[in-house]
Amino acid sequence: MAGRSSVLSDDTLLSRLDLKLYTLERWLALLSGLAVFALMVLAVISVSGRNFLNQPLPGYVDWIQQAMPLIAFMGISYVQRDGAHIRMDMIVGQLKGRPLHAVELITTLAILLLMVLMVWGSWAHFSRSFDFAAPMWSRDSSFDIGLPLWPAKLLAPVAFFVLCLRLVLQVWGYARAFVEDAVRPVAVPLVEDAATQAAHEAEQMTGAD
Amino acid sequence: ATEWNVSLWGKRRAFTEHVEKLAELVDQKTDGAFTLNISYGGLSQNTENLDGISIGAFEMAQFCAGYHEDKNPSITVLELPFLGVSSLDQERDLSMALYQHPAVVEDLARWNATLLMPSPMPQYNIAGSGEAPTTLESFDGLTVRATGGIGDAMSMLGAVPTSMSASEVRQALDSGVVKAVSFAPHAHMSFGVVETADWWTTNLNPGTVNCPVVVNTDALDALTDEEREALLGSVEEALDHYVDYYENETMAKWWPTLEDRGIEEITYDDSAVESFKEMTAGPAATAWIEKNSGTIPAQELYDFVQDKLTDGQS
Amino acid sequence: MDTIEIGLAVTGGLLVLVLLGMRVAFAAGLAGLIGLIWIFWSKKGYDPAEFSWALTVATKTAGQVPHSKVASQALSLIPTFILIGYLAYYAGLTKALFEAAKRWVAWVPGGLAVSTVFATAGFAAVSGASVATSAVFARIAIPEMLAVGYDKKFAAGVVAAGGTLASLIPPSAILVIYAIIVEQDVGKLLLAGFIPGAFSALVYGTLIIALGLTIKGFGPPVKGFTWRERFVSLPPALPIFFVVFIIILFIYNPFGGDAWGTPTEGGALGAFVVFCMAVWKGMRWREFRDALLETAKLSVMIFTIIWGVLIYVRFLGFADLPGAFSDWITSLNHPPIITLIMILLAYAVLGMFMDAIGMLLLTLPVVYPAVMALNGGEAVTAADSAFGMNAQMCAIWFGILVVKMAEFCLITPPIGLNCFVVAGVRDDISVQDVFRGVTPFFIADGVTIALLVAFPGIVLWLPSLV
Ligand code: NA
Ligand code: NA
Repeated sequence: MAGRSSVLSDDTLLSRLDLKLYTLERWLALLSGLAVFALMVLAVISVSGRNFLNQPLPGYVDWIQQAMPLIAFMGISYVQRDGAHIRMDMIVGQLKGRPLHAVELITTLAILLLMVLMVWGSWAHFSRSFDFAAPMWSRDSSFDIGLPLWPAKLLAPVAFFVLCLRLVLQVWGYARAFVEDAVRPVAVPLVEDAATQAAHEAEQMTGAD
Repeated sequence: ATEWNVSLWGKRRAFTEHVEKLAELVDQKTDGAFTLNISYGGLSQNTENLDGISIGAFEMAQFCAGYHEDKNPSITVLELPFLGVSSLDQERDLSMALYQHPAVVEDLARWNATLLMPSPMPQYNIAGSGEAPTTLESFDGLTVRATGGIGDAMSMLGAVPTSMSASEVRQALDSGVVKAVSFAPHAHMSFGVVETADWWTTNLNPGTVNCPVVVNTDALDALTDEEREALLGSVEEALDHYVDYYENETMAKWWPTLEDRGIEEITYDDSAVESFKEMTAGPAATAWIEKNSGTIPAQELYDFVQDKLTDGQS
Repeated sequence: MDTIEIGLAVTGGLLVLVLLGMRVAFAAGLAGLIGLIWIFWSKKGYDPAEFSWALTVATKTAGQVPHSKVASQALSLIPTFILIGYLAYYAGLTKALFEAAKRWVAWVPGGLAVSTVFATAGFAAVSGASVATSAVFARIAIPEMLAVGYDKKFAAGVVAAGGTLASLIPPSAILVIYAIIVEQDVGKLLLAGFIPGAFSALVYGTLIIALGLTIKGFGPPVKGFTWRERFVSLPPALPIFFVVFIIILFIYNPFGGDAWGTPTEGGALGAFVVFCMAVWKGMRWREFRDALLETAKLSVMIFTIIWGVLIYVRFLGFADLPGAFSDWITSLNHPPIITLIMILLAYAVLGMFMDAIGMLLLTLPVVYPAVMALNGGEAVTAADSAFGMNAQMCAIWFGILVVKMAEFCLITPPIGLNCFVVAGVRDDISVQDVFRGVTPFFIADGVTIALLVAFPGIVLWLPSLV
């Protein structure tokens, strides 16, 4: 049921790098899926602890807050690779060839600009919570049981950095497609009309019943 | 003209009256040349207000020390249980004195922040639903929303402290996730605890939270002498207004609220409170000093606070 | 330029980026970041020497948003609700549900279509996402409807429309998102979705029966199930009700005692029960891994939009645009209810072109304060208010209306995601077919929305009990 990818590959360096990075991205996304599962287990422990042992899980909320960045950030590059972040493709859906690759190149460069700045900004956010001299290296802690926040804050710049690598590959891919006026460019998500895209989504829900 | 952005949260309430007053006074004294733009939640999340000050995104902010003790270990000494503070004025003087202590100044300087004034809050007390804990023994097994030092103190009575943000408290109490809540009176009212509560403890007084207002040090230094004078010279008056407002507006609503809703007032005898204090205050202070001695002169700060309190009483 | 003008200019720029096809999350983040730089730089009178200061402060301000906004307990409901939907599929719950609905209600005119609506409503009670619901039922329900002679356009339309129920009937990812943006109690909002969701299903069902009675050869009743067959079909579908029951018990205890916990815990516990069932039904690591990956994918899409838009919202806070907009709305010379209806119509138009979650996240920070101001403010009592309800109830009522509008958008052309999904599952049905088949449901949704506006009690009765 994993979605069919709409990214083509061949034996160029770009394509090989794309597939290498994709392996890493998949693992990071799976990590985030496992964090969702952990959240579920945590709730079961919390509820049974409270109702059967009259002993709520100490810092339940703090632990959820620690797990959330894992869920929210780690898969960001995986989703970008498959072109699955939500967008309105009414206009790009009409374009073909060079104009299409030019628009994709521009918007991808814009995302790269944003994410480079976000790596800087989220790293600064992390470093304000981190202090080598402090106990547990912590300069910012959670509300209830005082967990250090820096590990969770570190996840943002790390995930954003991986996304930047992905964006560099996509910029490369679109630039090449533009220069060569490629019909079937590799290493970039292909524009699909909304119907094909929906077919992919539907496909994910089938195959086992 | 100088314009400062001020990051508060929630909505205008007793807890923010001193900042509102300060803005009014500064505007008056400078004929509108220096204004404070107060934003309730638009500029930052309340737990990130010190970060915003450190970045320089806004020039003034309010926060509570207990939200993130590692950010501001030095002022969490004021959140220890049973310090022995009995009035808002005492809380105010104690905070103002501690805010001048070099170790505290240095602690906040890490955030490029200068402490301006406290938001003195009365002692927390516990409101809850169901059967009232008329003796300290009956706290055994009671689920209570209490955080930080107060939570630790409650667990020494056998209660089961649970933490949650203030905005979740109402639902947790309604749904029975907790049976009791520890808050200052204004919060018992504004977060809806009084809608469900059957009882309230009048004199457990296990402690309170410390929520200072800080300014960005660079921005403070960049003010003209006249502007700085207008700001710093208005602090005492703003605090007078705050204390007055809390005592005469908020508490004036509190007592009728208890009566209207038939909330039972539980008063423990002095010996019971005294034994609770003995059980919890000492160990909590020792633990705090031990935990923080690596980063701040914890013992010195604790002694400083104790000395101030004894001075105040003599 | 004052900050309001900067706010408007950046908002215009954001629209251009979105139209150009830039991913919504990043377009919003970039617009917000540029807006912050602009505001900070304008404070220094656009002095070139101060640009790097403005850039640094803006970047660090934006850099706080992803972690600080995402690390929230309430948001943890979203991935859990999504996981439930995927696991329910592996647990065989969807098929069992349709079978039971068929045996019990297919005897009415248009019977199989009515059964489909009730089965989607039942699945909605464990699934947090509309698109997933339509995809599942396109596989299960359409073949059976075609077999007894339904028009294939209409059969596809029923499934597309039925899927939208998943976002009103709790659990619902989109209701949670609304609750977070407007800072209202998640539990109450989820609870408020029940009756309007069930009400929508009833309106759909009534419409189908009416069509079945008036149009010759529309869709024959399916009769002949014995009572024994009916009761036999129930046990396999029961776990759905068990899960629903758990989630409800964690929000509100109908027996008058304490609820069992918080909605967060209820959602997670529901997921756990469905997980156990799926394992019992033979789910293996491969399938489980796929379910986790799909959950992660959908979650990260939603979270990226959330933090991206919240950077833009942070900028709006510095520009004070929401305040200005709500001043403008309240200064209009129409009766408040007319203004509210115009806002809802604007959502209908916007929703033709936009994704539901993106639309709510982009508009609510500005529209919600305006609606609250229209009602009389955050502290208004029911007696003094424009809509006859206090601020909290107004927030709940408006939330349900807006979510119903967002769901309506899933079936309207040209970008009606549910219709695309149905057409995608069935090679023999084109998107145009589905849009044609779903048209009767526009009327049903119009009626539902009008009734929810006219009788807020339908929305507010249940949450007001808590
Ligand atoms: Na649902
Ligand atoms: Na649409």
